[in-house]
Amino acid sequence: MERKQVNGLSGKLAVAALLTLFVLPMSSAFGQDVATGQAIANVLAALSITATTDLDFGNVYQGVAVTAAKDNSTVGTTAGVFTITGEAAAEISVYMVLPAYLATVSGDDRMTVSFNTTDAAYDNTGNVDPAAFGGGVANVDPNNWTTAPTDVGAGGTSAIFLGGRVTPSVNQAAGPYSGDITVTVAYTGT
Amino acid sequence: MRSIYIPMVLVILLMVCAGSGNAQTITINNDLSFGNVFPGIPKVVSKATAGSAAEFHVSGTAGNEVTIDFTLPTYMNLSGANMQMIFHTTDCAVDSSASPDQSNPGADNLNPWHTITYRLGSTGLTIWLGGTVVPKLIQTNGSYAASIVLTVAYTGS
Repeated sequence: MERKQVNGLSGKLAVAALLTLFVLPMSSAFGQDVATGQAIANVLAALSITATTDLDFGNVYQGVAVTAAKDNSTVGTTAGVFTITGEAAAEISVYMVLPAYLATVSGDDRMTVSFNTTDAAYDNTGNVDPAAFGGGVANVDPNNWTTAPTDVGAGGTSAIFLGGRVTPSVNQAAGPYSGDITVTVAYTGT
Repeated sequence: MRSIYIPMVLVILLMVCAGSGNAQTITINNDLSFGNVFPGIPKVVSKATAGSAAEFHVSGTAGNEVTIDFTLPTYMNLSGANMQMIFHTTDCAVDSSASPDQSNPGADNLNPWHTITYRLGSTGLTIWLGGTVVPKLIQTNGSYAASIVLTVAYTGS
């Protein structure tokens, strides 16, 4: 009788050992780990452009064409100036929409305005004075900027200087004329 | 008395074994780094780009299956300024081989938004994560950051 009890205990111990063998490999199933990594980015300076000075042909006589030089060398006229700020040395693209004519406020009369292939300059030295071109691209076709490499400049500021020409007719109506010049700049991503 | 002795031993064994298992450990090898970002120009970091993609390594019991769960941000932050982040459904990859290959992982194009189940290899498991940032045209400049939380757990199989 006593021997039978010992055998029963041994059997239970054997079961325990088997269960232990079963449990041990499963023990790792209870683990969990959590890690927190980071997503990081450095956003560069936003690009902006400001129409600093209007392209001004001054007083114009009927039948006499007037050219406004991009370097302010024509007396009585003022070159258009657009100031660009952004990330230093970043490449940008420039797109200009130029008017074909200037119009009176009422729209009753129009005056032809034109821009030739060297009427713009791009100064990337930080200088914004058309009369003191500091460096960059001296002659740019304002109708086709894609031919000119353009960047914000090492100092993060650059400028576009723009000249042009108006050709009033002999019977051009007197009064102020104006037209919009739209300049769009965008980072190229390089 | 002996009849309750053995169950007690088993319970103790269970408790001891549960606490002494070979738990897995996550190591962050690399953060998800977008570098310089131009305002207005989205930037993508591929999960296959070494040094830029996030890389995690999971060590644990070889052959055991684990679940991988990400808690992903939807934007990065800089002093109250936010920048949108996007994680696509193919932005994750894993590799459990002895020599993990980021450019040719064991399992590619996994969805980090869903639970991923994979088995640990002899050297564990390497996880890569890519992503996209979408800066605004007038995004405030500076260093942005966001947390990526990774949870790994054994499935028991």
